[in-house]
Amino acid sequence: MSSRLAPPIRRALLLSSLPVYVLLYAPLVLIAIFSFAPAPGGQGASLHWYHALLQEPDVLAAFRRSLILALVSSMFGTSLGTLMGFGLSRFRTAKRSGFAAAIPSLIIYTPIIMPSLVFGIADLIFFNLLHKATGLFAAGLLTMGIAHVTFQAPYVALVVFARMSGLDPNLFEASHDLYANGWQSFFHLTVPVIRPAIIGGFLLAFTLSIDDFTISYFTAGPGSTTLPIYIYSAVARKGVAPDINALASLMIATVIGTGLLQYLFSRQKERRPLPRTGD
Amino acid sequence: MRSSPDGASRGEIALDAISRVFGGGVIAVDQIDLNIRAGEFFTLLGPSGCGKTTLLRMIAGFETPDAGRIVISGREMQNVPAHLRAVNTVFQSYALFPHLSVAENIEFGLRMRRIASPDRKKRVDQIMALLQIDAFARRNPAQLSGGQRQRVALARALVNEPDVVLLDEPLSALDAKLRAELQVELMRMQKRLGMTFVFVTHDQHEALVMSDRMAVMERGRLLQVGPVLDVYEQPRSVFVAEFLGQSNIWKFASHTGNVAQTPIGDLVVATPIGTQRTAMIRPEKIWLYPEAEAPGDRPNLFPGTVREAIYQGAATHYHVELVGGAMILALDTNNQAAERSWGPGEKLVLELKPGNIMLIDG
Repeated sequence: MSSRLAPPIRRALLLSSLPVYVLLYAPLVLIAIFSFAPAPGGQGASLHWYHALLQEPDVLAAFRRSLILALVSSMFGTSLGTLMGFGLSRFRTAKRSGFAAAIPSLIIYTPIIMPSLVFGIADLIFFNLLHKATGLFAAGLLTMGIAHVTFQAPYVALVVFARMSGLDPNLFEASHDLYANGWQSFFHLTVPVIRPAIIGGFLLAFTLSIDDFTISYFTAGPGSTTLPIYIYSAVARKGVAPDINALASLMIATVIGTGLLQYLFSRQKERRPLPRTGD
Repeated sequence: MRSSPDGASRGEIALDAISRVFGGGVIAVDQIDLNIRAGEFFTLLGPSGCGKTTLLRMIAGFETPDAGRIVISGREMQNVPAHLRAVNTVFQSYALFPHLSVAENIEFGLRMRRIASPDRKKRVDQIMALLQIDAFARRNPAQLSGGQRQRVALARALVNEPDVVLLDEPLSALDAKLRAELQVELMRMQKRLGMTFVFVTHDQHEALVMSDRMAVMERGRLLQVGPVLDVYEQPRSVFVAEFLGQSNIWKFASHTGNVAQTPIGDLVVATPIGTQRTAMIRPEKIWLYPEAEAPGDRPNLFPGTVREAIYQGAATHYHVELVGGAMILALDTNNQAAERSWGPGEKLVLELKPGNIMLIDG
């Protein structure tokens, strides 16, 4: 397509895209550069601030909490989201029309497009009421985890749903035709063919959780400070210090690493196209 | 013929007043009664949307009839789920499992039934050898050609030795030459294994070539069921005559004895005319003569002018305008095309022998 455009137009388009890339990536690059700032009194690039970070028990605790929260919530979020995506795609294939046909999209997209501020405040109020009524669900890692699962599951469901929609519906009938009952079909056909989507969904859920601030902030309690919350309060307290740059750089690296993992995995699995029709 | 304990033949299918109505009140299958014999190659032929696939899906167990009974091998099956039926399907899209190799695809049914592993391997190897797909046993379905996938899909069904094999337009995605090869191969396989094959197609040629018996379907009903030869030679309705093969059809309002007064003129037929009001003749049953050689003393001779000659290699189709202006389609085999052929504008004489004219009700 672009090859049909006249060279001057192509050059102009290319040029106009540059500021976009600069705005997207320059801040990230800057933070990474600043994180190698010299030690106080020193000169030249250094790993001082990374070193300082690792000496800080609060940072390490927050990091550990973030990791545990992300791993555990992603496991639940992925399980629930997979079932959700699977169920909704089954609902859709059952010949629905009109409003009923739109139900899966509504269920998946509503939580995704909901502002996280609204989500966070709603969760805060909800868990508060729940705590008053039951004495359980005190604000802390548990409530944060539940909140994370609720926003992860729709994303996982979206990925799984998309994968399911791309499959020949005859595949599922073929499995039943070949003597598989519902469970056998799920474990011998559905799970293996949507495995790339499940793993991709897990990694997505993980990145969503590890950098979530808004919802975490509203559902956190005493002693459940995660990395993003720590960074926020540190910045609020003392401004952007070089050690925060180092911390942010580590997070960028983690998220990019996870994304890369997701890309590599999906690429490896998707290289062979799925046979949909006769040829 | 293989028999089940209660006397009914294994592979026999009896449909008893089967109906299926979809949402919106669309009647896909309308009170169909049909008996498919054990070990026969039976074809359901009809245009798209006639309900043939729905009927097949009900035999497979993917759809439940809204009314009626389905008896397979002597057992009532309409409420039995697909995975408990000794029926296997070859899908139009093949529906090969993308995460499994060819051999694993074929093995799937045996594994789900918990057949012991050595036995599984033996049966998979045998069927792959039979269908000549053993060379790519370890390949992924995406790496196969259309014809190879078709064989794998067939092997995946046959390896289970089901009572009935259902085939939903399995050849429609293949090119003409491959399709012709696989048609013959499917027939041979069916005769060799003795299983009942129920084949769904909208391709009348395929139906003619492959089946022992066939049913022509339209709008959820069976119009005619019988051996292929009977259905072709003696269509009982205009729809069947037109859908299966080509035909010249004339309605007539009046007749005297065995002479029908049709739009092309008086037509002498072999048998006395009863309540039938339609006459039909197949293009290949029409005799063609050069003007000079026409036999003068016989009935149903129609002089005409060729308007279009469509050469098809083995035969030529002639669109002939009769003297009164009516058009008629005739087919001449090209066994002597060098001496005998007509171009547009040339005159000839057609003979519609009384014995070749069929009378149809309505």
